Amino acid sequence: MVDPEYDVVVVGAGGDGPVAAWKLAEAGLSVLILEAGPFHGNEKWPDPHGDPGAEASSDVDDLSGELLDEQFTTREFEMVNQLFFGPADEDRGIWTRKFPGDGAILQCAGVGGTTLHYTGCHPRAYPAAIDEQGHWPIDYADLLPYYRDVEELCDVQPAPVTAKEELFFRGAAAAGWELIDEMNVTSPGYRPQPNAIRRPDQRLHVDGDYDGEFTYPDVTGHTLGLGEIAGNPHPRGAPFEEKAKRASNVSFVPAAMRTGNVTVRPNAFAVDVTTETPLGDTPTATGVTFRDTWSGATTTVEAGVVVLAAGAIETPRLWLNADLPDEEWVGRGLTIHFGDNVMGLWDADDLETTLGKPTVDQHEGQNIAARFDYPGLGMLQTVGTTPGVGAILGFGASASGFAFQHDTEDAPWDTMGRLAGPDLKRLLSDYRRMLPVLVVSDDRPLKRNGVTVQNGAEDEHGPIPLVNYTPSEADRKRRDELAEIAAEILREAGASHVHRADSPPTALHLHSTMRMGKVVDEACEAYAVDRLFVADHSALANGVGGPNPTNTGQALAARTAERIVERHF
Amino acid sequence: MTRGGVIHRVRTFLTAKVSWLRTVGRRVLGRTHGASSPGDLHARVTFRACVDAVIPTTPELADELGPEHVPGGNDVEVAEFLGVYVDDRVQIGLPNIRRDVDVVKPIANVLDSAALKLIARGDNEDEPNEERPVAFFEGTDVSADRIRDVAGPFARLSPRDRLRAIHVLDEIEAKITLPDGRFVEFDGGLVGQLVVGFPKLIYYSEWDGYPDPERMPFGQDHPNDPASVQGWQQTGFPGFTNGYACLRGYLGTEDGTLGSEDVWTTIDDHDGPPVGLFASPGRFRENEYDTDGYVEPYPEGGA
Repeated sequence: MVDPEYDVVVVGAGGDGPVAAWKLAEAGLSVLILEAGPFHGNEKWPDPHGDPGAEASSDVDDLSGELLDEQFTTREFEMVNQLFFGPADEDRGIWTRKFPGDGAILQCAGVGGTTLHYTGCHPRAYPAAIDEQGHWPIDYADLLPYYRDVEELCDVQPAPVTAKEELFFRGAAAAGWELIDEMNVTSPGYRPQPNAIRRPDQRLHVDGDYDGEFTYPDVTGHTLGLGEIAGNPHPRGAPFEEKAKRASNVSFVPAAMRTGNVTVRPNAFAVDVTTETPLGDTPTATGVTFRDTWSGATTTVEAGVVVLAAGAIETPRLWLNADLPDEEWVGRGLTIHFGDNVMGLWDADDLETTLGKPTVDQHEGQNIAARFDYPGLGMLQTVGTTPGVGAILGFGASASGFAFQHDTEDAPWDTMGRLAGPDLKRLLSDYRRMLPVLVVSDDRPLKRNGVTVQNGAEDEHGPIPLVNYTPSEADRKRRDELAEIAAEILREAGASHVHRADSPPTALHLHSTMRMGKVVDEACEAYAVDRLFVADHSALANGVGGPNPTNTGQALAARTAERIVERHF
Repeated sequence: MTRGGVIHRVRTFLTAKVSWLRTVGRRVLGRTHGASSPGDLHARVTFRACVDAVIPTTPELADELGPEHVPGGNDVEVAEFLGVYVDDRVQIGLPNIRRDVDVVKPIANVLDSAALKLIARGDNEDEPNEERPVAFFEGTDVSADRIRDVAGPFARLSPRDRLRAIHVLDEIEAKITLPDGRFVEFDGGLVGQLVVGFPKLIYYSEWDGYPDPERMPFGQDHPNDPASVQGWQQTGFPGFTNGYACLRGYLGTEDGTLGSEDVWTTIDDHDGPPVGLFASPGRFRENEYDTDGYVEPYPEGGA
């Protein structure tokens, strides 16, 4: 049951909102979290995509690992479509957005937000991106205590190595790069991913002759069967909070609910932020109006503080659609880690020599468990994919046409662009001898890139987000250099064929559309609206240098929650 | 010009693009079809032409890779499901295209217009042929005469020329900067991503193993048997599993904090302490850091 008033209303139960809610609730405040999508693995919603279910949940005992097992099938096509940013009702399509360029936006709706799809990668920002690039009004050191809080609750640890990671590490070492063993990365090198995924059972070692079940309680922790992108219910049979991937629905949401001070209201799309202007100057946030995505009914809840945590697209959209001041930087400065996909293919005999078996088997292990860091440029990471997702990421989208239209004689890759026809089928017949590498560049916040709205382009929640993004020339150079490093590492690992997608702008990581220092102050409170805070990736002042942003977004949200308590309660 | 005037122009521009998507092919072809639907034969022929170009039937791969690599997307009706998928689930991201508006037919018409543009430029390498689309329906009960009657110029192109026509759409870009610095862009490459990317996602996923592949998978059981999914047979994907015993260890060095206990194998022993795979992960080092020496490799606005 949703009360008419709370100390704090948090808009969004994605990666960051539950972190703020947890901290606020631990301080004794009453918190309502509004989430546009469904609540999976909760007994109040046994059929979250087929039936409206209950109104809200505030009891941690509502969480059910058994339901999560049932609802997260790990079948890639089903789960990608089930979790994609849209209403819970599976008979309806996704919510409309205008994509950046000819790319796409990959976000989820539901409690857990895009951490339902994320691969558990939890590195910190590059210190230089915070301290040296001139975007941040706070220091990297300010974030350190909050990183440690988040990493402890999420069980962040070095990722396990399977064949695909060993191959990448061998290539990186042979290319002359150094192993990094540091949390705070200032120089280039390779390292295991710091993943928010519980380590696999030691009995799953390749030499261990394990022939038991891969379910709880026979094994605990990750079971090395991919699954992160499809939600990851592993190990099946485990209680809700014993699932290996520490997405925010498994980590911070239970922690927040356990305080007894938090109510989660799914299927609630925020459409307005209410304000008062008692002194006739700066408005003060007083509550949030949301629309039930099943019934269409709207409700307004009053709040002492409103926290926007709907993500880097929906948070500025809500601001722009609400009757809030017209601020210059709202929605602007979008960074997406302008990326690319480079992949290697190996001959079976070469793999036998390097790995002791004729296949890479990218479908085994964790999705993303090996990385290469380069402060100033960005990062690389291996990506084990199931074949459908791998086919569209690696060969389905390109900004430069089809592979047959390119002469790659002098390029570091053998083919570039979309693949199609017999060439595609030949390459994908080598799926098990293929290793994709994701290129993630340190793109910079440019005022022209971001989210706008226009009347007339609307859905049931008002004007839709129009997302525009064109990288700068320097962004392209950073990405190109990283793609060349990826190709070299794959060659050094023995790849007989290297393919580059030249991907269009595809937004997996979205940040910096409500930037600290531009829209919000150092406590992440809006300059233009009192008691209105931002606690999601949109408050990041830049793209944190290229590392996966979840850890930094969550650390900043934890810091923001402390500032809220200090300022207003 | 006032800001309102500029916004009006942008809105008009975007709306015009939608209108263009809906109607340009129809105008060019001088043809008016009824209400669009996934079952519309012109759209179906055009989508089959896309699938044939992207994931073709390949008898030539039988000797090279094996007989399981011969069937293509049209053998399992990817094009028909693509129509359902695009219309029911996907908004192509443009204003004023809402869920209740079909987009399959406009996309088919846009592909025809791209084909005509390719031909007009003389960039097609093969002559269009009205028999090509007939071949997409081999083994079905759709009459050859009916296919010849409705097939547009895109479906008559050779496979490579169809891909070239799709690339023609990649060239369509528009960017408008507003006086306040915001800008709005449109990219015709979105159409290509839909008709090239989505068939690959569908075909190589678990999709054709569902008992009813004509509808979305929600609520359907799946046999999870590689033999039941044509794409899995061609990639060697073994199906979904609860796990694998494939752990090799944890990266680290004997004198560092990463990696501990026994070494399983050595990764690098060139310079410095050997890097290997250890039985336990160890931990990352909470290091002191110094960013004073940071050099910007590619400064914004730099060369």
